[in-house]
Amino acid sequence: MRKGYDIAVIGYGETRIALRGGRSSYELAAEVLEQILEQTGIDKSEIDGLAIGETMSETSNPFWGVYMCEMLGLTPSWMQVNGIGGASGIGAIARAASAIRDGVCEMVLVLLADAQSSSRPTEQGAYRHEFMYPVGLRGPVGAFGLLSQRYRHQYGLNERALARLAVTQRRHALMNPNACEKLRVPLTEEEYLASKIVSEPLRILDSVMVCDGANGVLVTSTDKAKKLGARKMVHPVGYGEITNFRGTDMLPDVTVSGFSVAGPKALAQAAMTPRDIRMIHPYDDFLIALLMTFEDIGFCAKGAGAQFVLDTDLSWRGTLPLNTSGGQISAGQAGLAGGGTNLVEAVRQMFGEAGERQVADPRNAMVTGIGVIPYGRNWGVSNVLILAQP
Amino acid sequence: MSGERRPPRPLPRPGAYMDTAPFWAGAREGKLLLQFCRRTGRAQFFPRPASLATGRRDIEWREVAGRGVVYSFTNTFNAWPGHEDRVPYLCALVELDEGVRILANLLNVRAEDVRIGMKVKLCWERLTEEFRYPAFEPA
Repeated sequence: MRKGYDIAVIGYGETRIALRGGRSSYELAAEVLEQILEQTGIDKSEIDGLAIGETMSETSNPFWGVYMCEMLGLTPSWMQVNGIGGASGIGAIARAASAIRDGVCEMVLVLLADAQSSSRPTEQGAYRHEFMYPVGLRGPVGAFGLLSQRYRHQYGLNERALARLAVTQRRHALMNPNACEKLRVPLTEEEYLASKIVSEPLRILDSVMVCDGANGVLVTSTDKAKKLGARKMVHPVGYGEITNFRGTDMLPDVTVSGFSVAGPKALAQAAMTPRDIRMIHPYDDFLIALLMTFEDIGFCAKGAGAQFVLDTDLSWRGTLPLNTSGGQISAGQAGLAGGGTNLVEAVRQMFGEAGERQVADPRNAMVTGIGVIPYGRNWGVSNVLILAQP
Repeated sequence: MSGERRPPRPLPRPGAYMDTAPFWAGAREGKLLLQFCRRTGRAQFFPRPASLATGRRDIEWREVAGRGVVYSFTNTFNAWPGHEDRVPYLCALVELDEGVRILANLLNVRAEDVRIGMKVKLCWERLTEEFRYPAFEPA
């Protein structure tokens, strides 16, 4: 992504996040499209691009993207499906920007919808049947148990910092009407610390709860946005992404993520340092991922993430507001649409529409994505997007 | 537990994504086989259809000693489906002397006695008549 303000995000939509809500990914997606059309006043026929995320609920259909066009009455000249897990949302913005700059299309709907908790998840197959399932590692929870244990060995694991993160995000979720109802209850640090160990040293409250939900944003050129009289817009000014970080190294340090590559790249493109970031909406499948995110992007030194959390006011009124809609851990993980939850919140905040949790000075935001749990290493995809207003 | 049907522990499905027959033939004889890149001599695990180092397919299977250290571990209280009867059980990343890590259970050790860096050696768990599965125990 080139540095600049030539691309604009002009609208957003989000369903409520529901545990076993029973609505399909298509129904959820339709609600997002309707919200975006109502909010922007853009006619549906203006949308000539679709960047859609893979799902857990519909991915057994290899034509999922085309079916979605059929469902929603979209006839894009450019359509692509993103299969980079929780990195698919901001990854789609970067891809949409490239397509728009290339003249392939002018207005792209970035759409994420997944009814994972209502459907049987798809099977990832490959080596899992031989080299994972017989061992019994408990999916992402087990993988993050291994990451956490190693992190603890190398740097220590300050549980008070994790508790602080859990409580900060939960307070934010209490102010978010779209957050999963089951999670909209107050939480104390003591309750976090007393929660059940699921994969030692990981607690159940370190982790997301899988739900259903959908979200999306509308992306176009700044020129077109102005011509159409867009009421508000924010601009993607920096982006970095890496898949299969250290993928040829059989002995990588699992505590280091691809954010160590994607973060500095996004910041350089935006001509910013971490100190310039006004608020952060990082992908949060597990609390410890937030520590690694702060460290690897350069908000603090490696291993100093817990101290950074304890020293920084991460509340919506603080110096670095964090996941002000509760993040996935306290709003619920909308399946593979979860990567869009924090993205949409960043845009909502920058539009000044976050209600009682509105950040005072939302001039820019960093949003991150994490995708896919690989075999014996840190997560598979890391990406970082910086949004700004002139 | 009567009346409650649980899935059995998942058995390996050899050949589901590539030819892993040499690995399972070795396992039947109590031998742990890894892939090695012929050009670089580097080992790799899990098995892949090409050398991660070169992208070429000239790889070979070789038996290894099955000695290493615990790189990380987790004591599992929430079972993966089919492992409910084993709770709590230890999953670990074991770093072998040959320079690869293998995801495996740690057996014959209490969770509170496991340490990162602890020396371990290969042992075999008999899942069925057909399958012996690699695991590790204190060396």
